[in-house]
Amino acid sequence: MAVPFLEVEALTKSFGGLLAVNNVQFRMENKEILGLIGPNGAGKTTLLRLLTGILKPDSGSIRFQGKQLVGLKTWDIVNMGVACTFQNMRPFRRLPIIANVMVSCLSPRAMKRGEWVKVVESKAMDALEFAGISDMALEKASTLSQGDLKRLEVARAVATEPDLLLLDEPFGGLSPAETDLMAKSIRRLHKGGRFGRLHSEGPAMIIVEHKLQQLMKIVDRIIVLNFGTLLAEGKPDDVVNNPQVIEAYLGQGGGQ
Amino acid sequence: MVAAGLYLKRFYTVVRGEVLVLPSRVIVALFFLVLLGMPLISQNPYLIRVIVLTSIFAILAASWDLLSGFTGQMNFGHALFFGVGAYASAMLNVHLHIPPWGSVPLGAAAAVLTGLIVGIPCLRLKHTYLALTTMAFPIILMGIVFALPDITGGELGISGLQRISNSLIVNYYVYVGIMLVLCTIMWKITDSHTGIIFHAIREDELAVKASGINTTRYKLMAFCLSGFFAGIAGGLYAHYMRIAGPSTLEVSMSFTVVIWAVFGGIATIYGPVAAVFILFPLLEFVRFWPEYRMLIFAVVVLLILLYMPEGLIPWVRDKIEKECPRCKIRNVATRKTCRICTAVLD
Repeated sequence: MAVPFLEVEALTKSFGGLLAVNNVQFRMENKEILGLIGPNGAGKTTLLRLLTGILKPDSGSIRFQGKQLVGLKTWDIVNMGVACTFQNMRPFRRLPIIANVMVSCLSPRAMKRGEWVKVVESKAMDALEFAGISDMALEKASTLSQGDLKRLEVARAVATEPDLLLLDEPFGGLSPAETDLMAKSIRRLHKGGRFGRLHSEGPAMIIVEHKLQQLMKIVDRIIVLNFGTLLAEGKPDDVVNNPQVIEAYLGQGGGQ
Repeated sequence: MVAAGLYLKRFYTVVRGEVLVLPSRVIVALFFLVLLGMPLISQNPYLIRVIVLTSIFAILAASWDLLSGFTGQMNFGHALFFGVGAYASAMLNVHLHIPPWGSVPLGAAAAVLTGLIVGIPCLRLKHTYLALTTMAFPIILMGIVFALPDITGGELGISGLQRISNSLIVNYYVYVGIMLVLCTIMWKITDSHTGIIFHAIREDELAVKASGINTTRYKLMAFCLSGFFAGIAGGLYAHYMRIAGPSTLEVSMSFTVVIWAVFGGIATIYGPVAAVFILFPLLEFVRFWPEYRMLIFAVVVLLILLYMPEGLIPWVRDKIEKECPRCKIRNVATRKTCRICTAVLD
């Protein structure tokens, strides 16, 4: 049997008395785009943070390409090919935008994969080019708008050339036009290919998002979390018509 | 003859194109020239002594900046590295009779080791907690020094170290030369890719981790590098003063370093160096009015921090140079257009 791309089993994490993620398990195929939705406080961000090792789970296992991720350091996980963006953007504000991306390009994974790229700067520039903010490469990150910060987050994650990309609310706080642009970038990235000196096989993605309308157009499959437990899983259309999901989002009888 | 002329012309072109275009670079070049040419003008032993001590403390201030200014690991116990460097070189020189060219690097190696020992427990701490913890280490070491008077000389310290050279001028050139080389190396480190990662760790450590960088390794590296340079400063100081005493470990020493760095502008390397070259001689020359000495020092520092919160040197630099809005290249403040991309400067 082939090794599953990503396999999460019985993952549990609690903060004090609050069960943020409770016995969650799911599997994921390579190159799949998985939507992760749920009401506020459902544990979506916590789940992503567990996957990247920023938080340590209380119990359970995460296997990525057959390798156990639980207990590894964040940078090891990133260097194995799991990149993430932050919901509340965390740029290095006093550094130029290009330097923000260069930090990712200096990670062992990025350095190994671009041996023929001698100049880290040019690789970082291509990541910015992909995200569409290369014109502001020399500005300080503190001057960026909300939408451009989201793009910077994506550029930073893409610069490590991941196999699995975790996007935490990529459309959060974006205008409708910006949202469309971002959705286009995500689809383009998923198709794979060469972006200047960056090479993408089309990473698998997990996208946490509240703008369901946009999300539905991108994802192959959706997972719904509620109070830390897995509520539903399936094709986008099936999930939105699932009465349990409607109840979780809108309350009892909210679907009528 | 012709070849020499060509080289001279080439040299002049490089100087004109790279150095004379920016006032800050001219100032740095003048600084190097004046320091290296000083003994030709005056061989006053007092002046030379002040410059040598200033050079030693410039290394120390720059090494603090490398650790705390760049990676944001607030170290309020920087005297630890200085003291370890001083005591280690002194013990090696006095007890084991190792000459200065061996004892100073070995003292620096001891300081690197100290950097590791301090760095590992401090990795988990942040901000205030880190600052308070680091402050404790030199005090602990001072306790050890007092507890073992047979080896460390107790309160009197270890005296009778060998001078690096008995000639005033050779001594001067050794110290000033080492200072210029080490500060250039530190500036080069911060200007490299490693420097970018140091900057990023100060800004947001979690985001650096999520970029796939082993932050533990880089933070330890910062501790070790900083310890190395501060240790060299300590060894040089011990050999110059011919004594390594508990004063090198004092809390006031740690804080003076912080004051110098903040005065000059942190996260610049050249800022703290310039600050030491302004403040240390100032403190020496106001010895004429001993009762107002510390008062004048405090007033100068307070005024600078009040009106130039970024530090003196970045403030001066912003006054005499401006950044091109398009290509971010720095230009002389008097220019109307950028010297590289010809964009209009505002």
